[in-house]
Amino acid sequence: MTWQTYLFLLLAGAAFSYSAYRFSLLYRLMKGHQGKANRLDHIPERILTTIANVLGQKAVLKKRAAGIMHATIFWGFIIISVGTLEQFVGTLYQGASFEFIGERAYSSLLIVQDSLTAAVLLAVGYAFYRRLIVRPEGLGKSKDATIVLILTGSLMLSILLMNGFHILGSEPWYQGSMPVSNLVAHLLKGFGLTPEFNIAMSTLFKWVHMCIVLGFSVYIPSSKHLHIVAAGPNTFLKTLPREKGMKPINFEDESIQQYGAAKVTDLSWKDALDYYSCTECGRCQDLCPAHNTAKPLTPKMLILDLKNNLYNNKEKILAGKIDEVSPIIDEHVTEDVIWACTSCRACEIACPVFIEHTDKIYDIRRNLVMMESKFPAEVQTVFKNMETNASPWAFASSDRANWADGLNVKTMAEDSQVDVLLWVGCAGSYDDRNKKVLRAFASLLKKANVKFAILGTEEQCTGDPARRIGNEYLYQTLAKANIETLNRYQVKKIVTACPHCFNTIKNEYKDFGGNYEVHHHSQFIAQLVTQGKIKPTKTLDESVTFHDSCYLGRWNNIYEQPRAVLQSLPAINLVEMKSNQDQSMCCGAGGGRMWMEEKIGDRINVARTEQALATKAGIVAASCPFCMTMLTDGVKTKEMQDKVKVMDIAELMDQATP
Amino acid sequence: MNIYVCIKQVPDTETKIKLNPDQSGIDTAGIKWIISPYDELAIEESLRLRDKNPGSTVTVLAAGPARVVESMRTALAMGADNAIHVELPEAADNNWVAKSLAGALKKEPKVDIIFTGKEAIDDGAAQVSQLVAEYLGISYVTVVLGIEYLPSGVKCKREIEGGSFEMVEASYPVLIAAQKGLNEPRYASLPNIMKAKKKEIKVLKTSDVGTSESDQKIRYKNYQLPPPKQAGKKISGDPAAQAKELARLLHEEAKVV
Repeated sequence: MTWQTYLFLLLAGAAFSYSAYRFSLLYRLMKGHQGKANRLDHIPERILTTIANVLGQKAVLKKRAAGIMHATIFWGFIIISVGTLEQFVGTLYQGASFEFIGERAYSSLLIVQDSLTAAVLLAVGYAFYRRLIVRPEGLGKSKDATIVLILTGSLMLSILLMNGFHILGSEPWYQGSMPVSNLVAHLLKGFGLTPEFNIAMSTLFKWVHMCIVLGFSVYIPSSKHLHIVAAGPNTFLKTLPREKGMKPINFEDESIQQYGAAKVTDLSWKDALDYYSCTECGRCQDLCPAHNTAKPLTPKMLILDLKNNLYNNKEKILAGKIDEVSPIIDEHVTEDVIWACTSCRACEIACPVFIEHTDKIYDIRRNLVMMESKFPAEVQTVFKNMETNASPWAFASSDRANWADGLNVKTMAEDSQVDVLLWVGCAGSYDDRNKKVLRAFASLLKKANVKFAILGTEEQCTGDPARRIGNEYLYQTLAKANIETLNRYQVKKIVTACPHCFNTIKNEYKDFGGNYEVHHHSQFIAQLVTQGKIKPTKTLDESVTFHDSCYLGRWNNIYEQPRAVLQSLPAINLVEMKSNQDQSMCCGAGGGRMWMEEKIGDRINVARTEQALATKAGIVAASCPFCMTMLTDGVKTKEMQDKVKVMDIAELMDQATP
Repeated sequence: MNIYVCIKQVPDTETKIKLNPDQSGIDTAGIKWIISPYDELAIEESLRLRDKNPGSTVTVLAAGPARVVESMRTALAMGADNAIHVELPEAADNNWVAKSLAGALKKEPKVDIIFTGKEAIDDGAAQVSQLVAEYLGISYVTVVLGIEYLPSGVKCKREIEGGSFEMVEASYPVLIAAQKGLNEPRYASLPNIMKAKKKEIKVLKTSDVGTSESDQKIRYKNYQLPPPKQAGKKISGDPAAQAKELARLLHEEAKVV
């Protein structure tokens, strides 16, 4: 036992106790949440996801340069921590080291550590360059980030100086395994210092290094660097399937008094872990259609504001005074922020630590709508239409099958012995432009000799608009009515041209007893082409660009089939927009925005139309009725309707098929 | 204050009206029923007035067949405290309805103010409000756009012909018939919808309100659907010729000038 042992015990004891105390508070804050989140299913899949994204840095590396920078610092942190541990042990038991692992293994460890130290320094340099010179908009300004980078850089420098002086003073047998430190030693040699001084300096820098590490452990719980502890578990606990549905509320449960989230504590512990994991990298914000058209929502600020709200209510939550927790809606998270979301999930796909932004927005909307009856005024008509006529638009339900006049399409009531049920959707039933899409698709099904039927006046809105806007009660009324009808006809297979109907029936009806094999028409048509049941022969000879629907792409991971449909058309030239597939930009209609006025900022549909027009394609192909409406309006706004047509993939295929 | 609202259940505005085979009335099968939109304004106004005057209650009344209970539940979900259903047959006319509603109101211990819509959107008769007030012998103000509540009565802004307004004062008890623009009706919150399901609706028979079939003054015999809308006519030529042709058509074909 030397003075070093006692000093270390004192410092480490203090630092780790304080750190442990701070982490216990964070844990108790998580436990103070009332919402539920069950995330311990499918353990093997979770382990694999964690390995790929934590150890493999898969999601982080989606952005090349910044990803490599992060991966270097991450792996440097892991490997160099072994050296840090060795310092701790060596300080506690004077002279102890990891040399016992064998000469070769120890040398190898040192080479890796030494080179990674230099690599991390370079990465920190790049990070500074990015923050101070490049300054990507999403990154923003962060004092926290500067402190962390200075500390990380100092950690690396202290290691190199410690090792450099160590080599000069003690000339250890393994000095050949530390090329970078050797270089430092070479430079230090020029000062002509005594071996005793060099040994003392090495000890000093060891202490500098150890103190920064201990300082870090104190700093982490209160900084954005908390992600180094939270992001791993957050990845493990993420919602697994890409095909994501919204979680239902059990209205039969009379113990539930609060629907949706009025206060942060109405959300779940997993939401708190999301805030803890946020590194403020801004990738979510870069792709957000609301943010990019000057609306008050940025997914990054939403998470940070919720985190601040949680921290500001810390005392009340820890004291169990949940009733006194201040509301979520305040001067930061305004109602406009909550209504700006198109639920396109670009933020969630971009997030390297799998934060789920949309669920929080949905929960906040549920409270606003169901508890407080607060929503954009125009939405009231939408709810009323859905309540009385089972359609977000004001049309009589008795007119629902009029789109098919003269096509000789049977209803299930007339003949339910069919291969597939065609789910028309409200847009296909009532919107003049989208009626044409349905007529084209029905014609295509007939050409392929598919035996199909529709529900006709028995079909009701799936409830999706109500659910996305926050009216879960109305959604469930409609969903249950539809499921009752579908199950009465023993429907097994459904095809629909609407990605919103598709997502709801496929992923969300199963919570209420509706289990069907559901196809989007892009999948269905692609399959008919592969099977040779449709043979497109007429030449189109036109450039086409395809706009991804969010509920088909990001919600259901369908990117290939609509493109396959287009590519099977003779003499077509498919050109991609700059942002496509999972990086695609929303048309602006999702999340119930279809029925809300866009009063703030620029119009999302016009911004997306400009991207489509930039391809110079003569046809913008859509696969969703709402995208169709938004892009058609966008083309008109840009006064390009004489040169550019917006068409559904079914219309293009029907035209090309004799 | 003891606040009352009289509402009518009407077919939804999107309903495609069909007639009974004997043309004695409309075919109610498949109709989606809603609260007449002007009556929603009346409900909203009653709730706002109640909330400004602690200790007040809002009671909603409707006269008609069993189906009207559904609309009364909606009114309760919006926030009304009590509901009274006067059972009347489908074909009851404005007079029978008004006399029955008045009969029900007479049974109440004290009535300070009654709200209704300015008319129902199905028959558009605009009779019941005034008739109720007449049967009760109280003042009434119709087509009201704004109300100032004074200690002894109300000061109302009402719409009159030619786009003008007039201010009318009336003392309590008073009946007010609401016009669009008076307020924006609320959307019921879910806890209120849940509570409304459990609230009791008081049922009164014609004998309880002192009316009978003899109060039916109008009998409907031969309903007709309006003639189908004809396609528009486009008039061409120079402006002078167009004007001349338009005048001729209005005079000779439409026979309106």
